[in-house]
This record gives sequence, structure tokens and C-alpha cells, in this order.
Amino acid sequence: MTDISFARPPRQSRIPLTRAALPLAVALAFAFFAVFADGFAQWNNLRALLVNNFALLAIVALAMTLAVHSGGIDLSVATAIDLASLAFVAALAAGYGVAPAIIAGLAAAGAAGIVNAFLIAVLGITPFLATLGTLFIGHSVQQLTTGGGNPLFVPFQQVPPALPFLARGDLLGLPVPVLAVLVLAALIAVLLSKSRFGRQSLTLGLQPLLALYSGIATGRVLALVYILVALIAGITGIFLSANVSAYMPFSGNVFLMNAIGATFIGTTMSASRAPNVTGTLVGVLFLAIISNGLLLIGWDFYWQKLGAGIAIILCLLISSGKARHPQ
Amino acid sequence: MPASTDTPALDLRGIVRTYGPVRALDHAALSVRRGEVHGLIGQNGAGKSTLMKILAGIEQADQGEILLDGQPIRAESPAAMIQRGLGVIFQDRMLVGNFTVEEALFYATPAIRRHGPLLRRAKLRQEAERVIRRYFDTSLPPKALIRDLSTAEQQIVHITRTLLTGPSVIVLDEPTVALASREVENLFRAIREMRADGITVVYISHYLREITEICDRVTVLRNGRHVATVQADQTTTTRLTSLMTGAEIGSLFPPHNSADTLSGDRPIRFAAQGLGHRAAFADVSFDLREGEILGVTGLIGSGFKELARVIFGLDRATSGTMALAGRGYSPRSPREALAARVALVPEDRRSAGVGLALSLRENVTLASLRRFSPRGLMRRGAERQSARAFIERLAIKAPHEEIHVSGLSGGNQQKVAIAKWLCRGAGLYLLDEPSIGIDVAGKAEIYRLLRSLAAEGNAVIVFSSDLDEIQGLADRVLVFHRGRIALDASTADTSSGQLLAAAIAGSPHQAPDKGQSERQAANG
Repeated sequence: MTDISFARPPRQSRIPLTRAALPLAVALAFAFFAVFADGFAQWNNLRALLVNNFALLAIVALAMTLAVHSGGIDLSVATAIDLASLAFVAALAAGYGVAPAIIAGLAAAGAAGIVNAFLIAVLGITPFLATLGTLFIGHSVQQLTTGGGNPLFVPFQQVPPALPFLARGDLLGLPVPVLAVLVLAALIAVLLSKSRFGRQSLTLGLQPLLALYSGIATGRVLALVYILVALIAGITGIFLSANVSAYMPFSGNVFLMNAIGATFIGTTMSASRAPNVTGTLVGVLFLAIISNGLLLIGWDFYWQKLGAGIAIILCLLISSGKARHPQ
Repeated sequence: MPASTDTPALDLRGIVRTYGPVRALDHAALSVRRGEVHGLIGQNGAGKSTLMKILAGIEQADQGEILLDGQPIRAESPAAMIQRGLGVIFQDRMLVGNFTVEEALFYATPAIRRHGPLLRRAKLRQEAERVIRRYFDTSLPPKALIRDLSTAEQQIVHITRTLLTGPSVIVLDEPTVALASREVENLFRAIREMRADGITVVYISHYLREITEICDRVTVLRNGRHVATVQADQTTTTRLTSLMTGAEIGSLFPPHNSADTLSGDRPIRFAAQGLGHRAAFADVSFDLREGEILGVTGLIGSGFKELARVIFGLDRATSGTMALAGRGYSPRSPREALAARVALVPEDRRSAGVGLALSLRENVTLASLRRFSPRGLMRRGAERQSARAFIERLAIKAPHEEIHVSGLSGGNQQKVAIAKWLCRGAGLYLLDEPSIGIDVAGKAEIYRLLRSLAAEGNAVIVFSSDLDEIQGLADRVLVFHRGRIALDASTADTSSGQLLAAAIAGSPHQAPDKGQSERQAANG
């Protein structure tokens, strides 16, 4: 096969405005707050932005990206976060070390994932309803195990030094949670775009019938997706508890909608509108800048969601150019 | 405003539409006289669908003019086009199954607006009844659910919806694809009535015999350009075919296998014994030898489609047994069927056959992912090489292997769907309506490909409603009639007329009574 020559696949040389909308929005938001919000562009604030506003949400959003990539959604990430947090703190309070506590936390999150995997892959319930069920069940589990939803603290004298390090320490010149995001992002990016599993998940997300007819083990792929999603979301629960040395009931809920939002606005960065790691991270960054900046400007806390909502809609409007498909 | 009688009802001039590097329409033209039935033909990829979308206001032309009754118009949206009296009826835009006939007719139809803001049900119902009676000489229960109607009845609802908007031009896209021959006659009658009422009809079809029968004039598109417009009664299907392809094509069907391959010496690859599935079919027994192409046909609802599903593991047989190369075979899923080297090219190409938003490369390797990812990570170089090899081997018309399959014509999409199985390798290939929506030249290529698959020692089963296809392509044929095999014969001893008789009446010797029995069989 030497005499055949193929035209080179066109590289994406021109990036259409629709795909640049989200990065542009991030740049604009950044510039706006740098000018109008005192102290926004200072390193201390930017670090706080990355650690407090960006990193934890980014981890949940990366997990959500996996679910959406496979054509589903996971509403129970909040449950995975809370269960991880609860098990982590309970293990520490019972006198276990940090490593066993982390394992306990991930195992608890993984349990939520296994429930989802069973409902979706074995019973064939749609992901939206299955994970909604798990979310409700998780709510009850927390109430039942914490006397109606009381916080659980690691006794002050028992807080291991590794906790503040996990939450706020530096490793390789980066805050630990931010480093965790980068490592996870790299792993998930490889998983989605280079691995066999990623290809199977993509096919399932685009055309479930095609996946079935092509002999892809759809149940196995879905089960893996939802267990992975729960485990990754659980990491956020552990960071959350490490920060305050406590379990606060139902604190996972705040991440749910933001993670969904970031994942979907992130799809605007892909030519085929597929969920992707870069888009999700930029989406999270966008939400983080908005909430941090509005706070600095002194907007009432209650107005923040309004600002974020308008910004999301504007961003989607700019990018909602018609996808052109012949035929 | 009064336009002179020789002003075309619809006139498209110099229409250009590009999708990235692909020029779907390259100064295409179409001129349709008032009150005529005008055929529009061309191979897949000739630009028919794009032209339709522009007429429907779904897509905009990059260049060119559209004139309705001599007046230049802008086709900016579907609503605007309907208001101007241009109704485009797409074959694949299905109605919502959960709607009742009445809802399907009146909702999302601009006809509503002509009676003010509120639905005047009684008036609309009356009008709909009148239209259905006038053109189709039938009536439909207004409260029936769309999904409970037959395909032909659904089409009546579909066309009536458009007729209610009072169009001056109606465009029909492949309206007969899913119809039995009697239903085709009914449709033709409706079209003639429309013509008699002064409605101009543009009729798009791959079936050239229909085109020459129903149309006054025919326009041929090739590679996005206007090739010719001819009088339908002064042309032949052969002439039209050569206009479409730009060359005289040889025989559509490749020569059958020589007699010795069909003799009893070749090992049996697949056998069914007393196979049945619920009410769909029963008592189905046959052997399939290596190197053989078996055609399976029947009317819609006769159970022959369900046989394909059972062999591919989509449904489980409720009685009887199957054997592959002598070993028991009862797949519970397509995955198990594939593990036994049984592959299916489905009828529903665009949702189950190819990944439209996946690249050609990703499609080709989709069923062999493990081979291309020995350590879990995809080896893109190997994938690319494989995809290129198939582009060359199957003569797939694609600029490169990274193109999205949505950008290929139907015939080339089908080749990609087949390449996926060739890449994986199977011993028994099932093809469900392999040439549906594919133009003549594409069909011939698919047929040659299937024949060469068989010649390599594979067994092939073609499930098709196209009797000419079965008769021309297959070595042997099974005709289903009401869930049973009505005819099992070598195609050397049959004609497509006999196949039709067997499908309709259950016996090849009975003259096809195109009335009652066909209707019953189709519903059974």
C-alpha cells in the first residue's frame, strides 16, 4: 500500500467563535474583576480562588464529565461526597490513621457507585432516575447515621497534621487539592480520549443501539462509569472534611448543580459538543472566577447565582451556532 | 399576483451549498412547471437531500436563487416556507407515536393559525376528513394513536398534515420506501388527484420505474449539479441510470456462484431446526452452506425480520434450535452472537449501523476494539492503517479516514458498516435491507461485495423486502408468509413474480391477488 496517497486529515486550524466562547468568557470575567475588584488579581486571592472555588468543584465536575460522556448523568455525586466525608471523619474519630480513613471514605463513596451501577447496568433504569433514587437514599442514610443530620467532628487533639496539609498544604509548589485536580484531569483525559473504555463510553453516549449492535459490553461499561464517578466524587468529600476536620451533613449538594453546569458549558469547547476534560475545567474556572469575583466586589451573596446564571446563558448563547451536518 | 402560465411554479437557480470541504450542491438547478409531477433523481450524495433541506427552509443556500411563481424568495425558516405554500414531506421525519391522529394533524401545523389563536376542532376535523377522503379515498379514526397505524396510514397522516396548509407545491421524499405495492398504487392515485387540483408535486425516489410511471418530467442531479431534465414518457430506466451515474453501468447483480459451490459438498455453516419466536414465526428450518447467499423475504409483518433478530441474539428463540458449524448456538445478546462470529448489518443504519459522529476510522475498528488496544489504550496508528486499507479495498468514497461518517453518502455509510465486520471477521453475515436508501451504483457495489464475501467461504443471509434484490442476488430464497416458510427454493428456479405470489398468497403458483390477502398478511 505505497502507491495510494491520502489527503491529510484537516487539523483544526481555525477555531470557530462558538468553541472559543467559553475561554473568551473566562478571559473577560478575569479582566473585568482584575479591574473592578480590589485584590482580585493578587496571588493570595488567586490561590484562594483555586483552592476554595476551583479545586473541589473541579473534581466533582470531572466525575460528572465521565457520566455525561457515556450518555448519562449522576445526580448522586452529592451522596458520594457526603458518604466519603462521613466515613473519613468517622474513621479518624475512631482513632484510625489518615490512610485507612481515606480508604474508608473512598469505600463509602464506592458503595453509592455500586448501587448506581446495579440500578443502571443490571436493572436498566435510566441514569437520571437511578441516581436520583440514590441521592434520596443517601440523604436518609446520613440522617439515620447522624441523629437527624448532626455534624461529626474529629476531636481537636486527634486531628493528624496530615489533614491541614491535605487541605491547604503545598506539594511540588502547588496546593495539594489543585495538584489532585491536575493529576485526575490528566488521567481522565487519557481515559476518555485514548483508551478502549473511552471509545466504548463515547459510542454508548452517542448511539446506544450502535454500541449494543457492535458487541460492546454496555452493562460493564456503564457499571464502571458509575463506580468511577462515585469514587472520584468521594475524593472531594475527603478534601472537604480535611479542611474543616469535620463532616457537615449534606454539604455535597452545593457541588451537584455547579458540576452539571460546568460539564455542559464545557461541551461548547468540543467540535462535536462532546463532554471533555479541558472544557469541564475551563467551565469550572469560569464559575469559580464569577463567584470569587462577585464576592470581592461586595455583591450580596444572594445575587451570586444570578450573576453565574446570566453568565452561563450568555456563554451558551454565543456558542449555540448551528452544528452543520450534511444529510 | 397573476404570473403567466409558463412561469415555473418553482425555480431554483445556481444553488451552492458547502459543508466544510464538501460541495454538496454546485450550482444546482431545478425548474418545475405549475401543476406537473416532477421527478428528482440522483445517486446518494448527488445533492437531493441538501436541496430538499434548502426548500424546506432547514438549511440555507450559500449562493443561488429560489423563485416561487416567478417571485424570488428567501428560504429562511421552515415556517416561512410553509406559509409560502411549499410543503416538504421527509420520509424519515416520523410523527410522534403517542399522538392521536387528530393531534398529529393539528398540532405544529400552521393550518391552526388560519383559524385564529384557538383550535377550532370541529372545523379542522371536518377539513381533515374531507382532505383524506378526497385524496386517499379512506378515513382514519381521529382518536387512534399514530403508533397503532400501519406505515401507509401514518404516511397519509403525514401528507394530509401538509395538504391542510394549502400548499401550491409539495415535495415528497422517497414516499414509497416502506409501502407494499398496493399502497404504492393508492399513493399514486393521491398524487394524480393533487395534480388534478393544480398542486405541483416534486417526487424524489430511487425507484426509477415509479419515477417513469408517475412523473411528467424528471430532473437528474449528479455531484450537486443539474445533469438533465427529460420527459418521463420519452425515457427509460436504463437511460436515467446512465444519466445518474454518468456512465452505462453493467448488470446490477454479480454472477451467482458456480453450481458446484451449491452442491451438497460444502459444509453447512448454519442450521435452524423448527425455530420459532412467539407469534412472529414458527417451524422455521433450513441449512445454509459456506459460500452461499440466502435471501429471506416476505411482506412486512410476515416474521422474516424477526428471524434476523433471533439469529443475532437480539431476541431469544422460543422454540427450536440453531447450530453454527454443527455446534449448538443460542445467543442471548449480540455480544454472544459476535463471539460466535455472527455479524448483522442492521436496516436502521443511522442509529445502529454506523456512528454518525464518529470518524470513519473509529467506525471501522468499533467491533474490534480489543485488538487495537492490547494494553487498554487505543493504537491510533494501527487503527488508521486498518481504516485506510478498508477505504481502498471497498472503494469507500471519503477524503480521509478522519471524516465523520455523517458526511458520507448512504452507500458509503453502508460500506463502512460492512467494513466494521470485515475488520472484526465473521463467518456468518446477516444483512437487513442492505441497499435501502442506496442508489443504483452503490447497490451494485454492495452486491458485488456480498458476493465476494460468500466466495471467500462465508455464509451470507440477506433479509430484504426488495424481491428483485433477493431474486438477483441470492442463491437460495426463503419466502415467509404469516410466520411460516411458504417457499424454499433455488433462485435459479424462481422469478421475482413467484416470490411475490408466495409472499402474498403463501404459494408461488397462485396468481397474486393484490387485494385482500396482501392487506391481511401485512397486518398479521
